[in-house]
Amino acid sequence: MTALMTERQAPPAPGRGASPRKSRKDGFAALAFLSPSIVTFLVFVLAPTAGVLYLSFYDWNLLSDGTFVGLDNFERLFTDERLLRVYGSTVYMALAILAVNVVLGLLLAVLLETRMPRWLRGVFRLSFLFPFVVSAAAVALIWRFLLNKDLGLVNYLLGTLGVDRIDWLGSSAWAPISIIIVNSWKTIGFSILVYIAGLQAIPHQLKEAAIVDGANAWTRFWRITFPLLSPTIFFLVVINTINSFQIFAEPRVLTSGGPGDASRTIVQYLYDRAFGDFDLGYASAIGITFMLVLIVLTAIQFRFSRRWTFYE
Amino acid sequence: MDVLRVSRILSRVATFAILALAALAITAPFLWIFRGAFSGSDAELYKLPPTFDPANLTGDNFGQVTDQVPYFRFFANSIIVSTTVTVAQIVTCATAAYAFARLRFRGKGVLFAVVIGSLMIPIQVTIVPLFLVMSKLGLTNTLWSLILPGIFSGFGIFLLRQHFMALPYELEEAAKLDGAGHFRTFARVILPLSGPSIATLGILCFTYWWNDLLLPLVMISDTERQTLPVGLVLLAGRFSTGSLGTIAAGIAMAIVPVLIVFLAAQRYIVQSIASSGLKL
Repeated sequence: MTALMTERQAPPAPGRGASPRKSRKDGFAALAFLSPSIVTFLVFVLAPTAGVLYLSFYDWNLLSDGTFVGLDNFERLFTDERLLRVYGSTVYMALAILAVNVVLGLLLAVLLETRMPRWLRGVFRLSFLFPFVVSAAAVALIWRFLLNKDLGLVNYLLGTLGVDRIDWLGSSAWAPISIIIVNSWKTIGFSILVYIAGLQAIPHQLKEAAIVDGANAWTRFWRITFPLLSPTIFFLVVINTINSFQIFAEPRVLTSGGPGDASRTIVQYLYDRAFGDFDLGYASAIGITFMLVLIVLTAIQFRFSRRWTFYE
Repeated sequence: MDVLRVSRILSRVATFAILALAALAITAPFLWIFRGAFSGSDAELYKLPPTFDPANLTGDNFGQVTDQVPYFRFFANSIIVSTTVTVAQIVTCATAAYAFARLRFRGKGVLFAVVIGSLMIPIQVTIVPLFLVMSKLGLTNTLWSLILPGIFSGFGIFLLRQHFMALPYELEEAAKLDGAGHFRTFARVILPLSGPSIATLGILCFTYWWNDLLLPLVMISDTERQTLPVGLVLLAGRFSTGSLGTIAAGIAMAIVPVLIVFLAAQRYIVQSIASSGLKL
């Protein structure tokens, strides 16, 4: 009785005593607010993900009944020399695209901070971001003309500088470089935009104080801008890694993955196995392992980020 | 002192030269495409160095595009898919983000970890079972198969949650005192304050689904139900026989709508990314 009394007399502050009732009340509201996401997540994300895992243990071609083959599909992964080559070209292109986005993007964003008229800044910003909103299929088509060996504008311009014609799309050395150029050209605007937002968040007083102390632009960049920008850089490293490993449209339209497998990506290879050969079990095994690779990569990035990112 | 001034001027000149060169390199391909779209002579387009003869200007290429592929059908399909996904995604993400930002309930931490984890599941990997789910539901070869998979977005929930958390509590307290429930607080207080972040999610979502090539290639077998990116690939498939100007016109016709959406909402993007404080 006394216990009840004290409880009732206790002030209705959001303390521990009040929380069970409150949390149950919020619980219904939370369920209502979350239900659209929960339903769509279960049906269109979780179920297919579980499905990939399930399929990876089967041999199935969409028409016949599947047969359970245990770990056969995963064993095949290790003997598939093409897969190894495709991983190689994917990693090569992804790392290059990541580097261009993170380094060149930062350079351009920092240069955009220079004093200039508002309209000019707007023009630069818009022109950098423009390709980002255009479909990768359209982008790849445009570049297929521009990079044409005999009739393309790029080789013509290089020719005026005395460079020999380059077989951009047909040679195994240049095809991946073409994919790198085209994808970076498309994505760098987004990286610049995120950098701009990050740079704007750096307090002006810090830079002014450094100028008063006589620090030059180089020192100011490495001592102030870079540390304060490190969370943004980290964000871009993570996002650009995930995105650049998943390229599909550019190699498909621009080079069809060739010559050979020189510019083929994992997602394209998975698509070919699944919808070209209807080898769905094996395609699923590729998908599951690829997802694990992405998760491990992201986890490593989070782990190492503690060494170089700086949070206020 | 003079040396210092000269080097300052030089560095400014270099800065603008780099920026202008980058802007030119990024926009030039588009200028080339728009010129091609209005050019009546393929011979002129292949001429190097590029020349420009106003006598060759024409609008015929656009007619050619609509003759060769059901362009307006593709266009309508793309509009239906992108708009529906965008509206549905904003609704599901905003409500979920409100729950994560403002409500107290059991299992919140775990559920949010699931949301972040979902960012690491690329749709390309789950595409095969997704196709099976759709065919079980009898929805393959319909626009629903392009709409439904896009509605849940871990990225969207994450983005909006960060913004909702940054909103001041005081306004909601006032609404609560007036007897408003969670739904009214959400609709009347939170949403009106979240224009920029919702516009950002909207534009990112719209352009992504407008441009998606993989899902329509897998889900849709009927040409009449395809979207614009597939239409472009179809159009270019006739590259050997069709004219360069026609393909350029097709590309221009696919770019313009998304460009309009982009120009209308672009200023919100910087604003909302700046205010979200991208801290991971």
